[in-house]
Amino acid sequence: MRLHTALGALLTQLALATAAFSQALPQTPGPKNAITDVPGIEVGHYTANNGAGGMTGTTAIIARGGATAGVTQRGGAPGTRITDLLKSEKAVGTAHAVVLSGGSAYGLAAADGVTTCLESQGVGTPVANGVLVPIVPSAILFDPGRCAPFNFRPDASFGTNACLAANNGPVAMGNVGAGAGARSGGIKGGIGTASAILPNGVVVGAIVAVNSSGSTFNASTGQFFAGYIASTPDAIVALAPSPAEAERDDLLRATTIAVVATNARLTKAQANKIAQMADDGLARALRIAHGTGDGDTVFTLATGTVTGNPNLNQIGGAAADALSRAIIRAIRAAKGIHVGTCNVNSYCELFPGNCPP
Amino acid sequence: MRPPRLRIVALSLLAGIAGPAGAQVPGQNNAITDVPGISVGHYTGADTGTTVVLAASTTGQGVAGGVTQRGGSPLTRETDLMRPDNMVEIMNAIVLSGGSAYGIAAASGVMRCLETNGVGFPVGGGNVVPIVPTATTFDRATCNAPPASRPDFTSGLQACLAASGGPVAEGSVGAGTGAVSGGVKGGIGTASVVLPNGIVVGALVSLNSEGTAYDGKGDLYAASLLLGNELPALTKAGGPANRVPPSLPGGALRSGTNVVVATNVQLTKSQATKIAEMADDGISRAVNPAHTAGDSDTLFVLGTARLAIDTLGDANAVVTQIGTAGANAVSRAIVHALVAAKSTSCQPSYCDTFPAACRNRP
Repeated sequence: MRLHTALGALLTQLALATAAFSQALPQTPGPKNAITDVPGIEVGHYTANNGAGGMTGTTAIIARGGATAGVTQRGGAPGTRITDLLKSEKAVGTAHAVVLSGGSAYGLAAADGVTTCLESQGVGTPVANGVLVPIVPSAILFDPGRCAPFNFRPDASFGTNACLAANNGPVAMGNVGAGAGARSGGIKGGIGTASAILPNGVVVGAIVAVNSSGSTFNASTGQFFAGYIASTPDAIVALAPSPAEAERDDLLRATTIAVVATNARLTKAQANKIAQMADDGLARALRIAHGTGDGDTVFTLATGTVTGNPNLNQIGGAAADALSRAIIRAIRAAKGIHVGTCNVNSYCELFPGNCPP
Repeated sequence: MRPPRLRIVALSLLAGIAGPAGAQVPGQNNAITDVPGISVGHYTGADTGTTVVLAASTTGQGVAGGVTQRGGSPLTRETDLMRPDNMVEIMNAIVLSGGSAYGIAAASGVMRCLETNGVGFPVGGGNVVPIVPTATTFDRATCNAPPASRPDFTSGLQACLAASGGPVAEGSVGAGTGAVSGGVKGGIGTASVVLPNGIVVGALVSLNSEGTAYDGKGDLYAASLLLGNELPALTKAGGPANRVPPSLPGGALRSGTNVVVATNVQLTKSQATKIAEMADDGISRAVNPAHTAGDSDTLFVLGTARLAIDTLGDANAVVTQIGTAGANAVSRAIVHALVAAKSTSCQPSYCDTFPAACRNRP
């Protein structure tokens, strides 16, 4: 009897381990295959287009009810705000939004617009004297001057508009929001998102603005470095060799920035650990990643509706895979820009066989 | 408040007659602007404000910097960039502001101001991205609830346009407008020191601490660190303990002392970071408790590169010398802030709380 119980427990553990492994490759996406599959997470984009091929914008990822937040910052040229507060030892662990934006350091202004927008909606941490302070960490990427004057860039109004546009529905990908002006290894970058439903009901989602110095795919085959992580709904099909003659973007003007979210209840220290693990998804999908000119920054938002002891390795592993998938989906969703002298190819223009309708 | 000319005469006397050989003396204005390449601008609003410290090398470029961030409620911008392992080596300005997280917007105004003048990290095509690390705090002294104003883009722009060398206004100005220190009015304070080997170190603090800067009798913890007779207005308070106002109740995001320390020595980011860690002890010595969970306490260091560190001796010894002088300058600047601050309708100043301590004030 006792032996049976022990054996049963062992078998159960083996079954769980197998389930966890089979969950990892590939993942089961949520209904929207988007970070908005995580309850409590909304996304809003604001995109500007100058009509000459120049694009930039802002993406706000909003946790209206507050979320435990963490961050990891491994790129060599970051532009960030309110990341110190997210360190595990600091007093405040709740963020109300994370803002991703183009515009280099100038684009940090967009977070100011999100902050006042959330304040007007009654979202924030009460401090004193009737002051409500929304906690809005932010990271930016370098896109100024691409087919546009250098001062074509997000300001506070971009954040306000992204905040007002936020909802929990499907999330537009490609040339939108913070990914509007993005490039990736010489081709068009953009916004991508993906989600995964874990067997225990935990949901993990990722959203990314890919603006990398490194590339996401083998230049001769078009095979994505992280293609082995993608699931069927990410629509990876047979590879069609095709020449890729794209000019690499300046290594000093890049940055891939991301948010991963989960409905698991995490402490701030755990949220920071999840961000570290999720960052591996960026490393698997991009070669090179975290270069000196990259501002690569990954945030975690944990909305905490699923209580109980979180399985950190399962969540962190799933977040990494979701981030890899989101990067592939960003590159596949991106559209080439061909306006006058402004020309940047998309992945799907280079490898149409890999991009079925 | 502080007639500069009289000060110069007094300091000359101090250096020439009273000062022992090799004595440390304050710079001409006893301000962070005594460091060549540093200018300061304040924007003062109804009950909050913004202070910018601009830094320029001899060629008008930015300078190396470092940061330490030990308070438990930091509201910061571009501090990741300042880590020595990250690429950008130059800082163009540091912004200190009230307005809690909203006040971070002031940095964007400073960026605009600098970009207009072509100042920033060059990114090709003649374009620049100004590097403007920032720390803000919640204004505890606002007599209005909610506050009547908060710093924004324009506040930063105005502070930058107002920046100049020379004397720096102290007390209830700029980022110190709505500041409190323990139970008395806080504010802006600045101090500098000229070392015998030509090193100049200056500090500017926005004192808005949860902890107090005075003991049970009302005497300032850091008064003993003052140089010579640099603050003749201040004497011993010596009051009974029951007259000491307590520190205000704390809480997350409620307070914080943010600081800039500058020196004329050329530093690497790593050296600047080490100096920041040492200079931060100046807060610890002047305020008790310091670096609380509710404090934003963030300290920046800038090296304006007028002196090559190799010409001054062993680099580590020089870093220690600057860090030590920086810590003392921070403590002294905190004393200056308290003595300069004026009472508001809802927050008494140190001097009005302990008039005996300030009985020599003009």
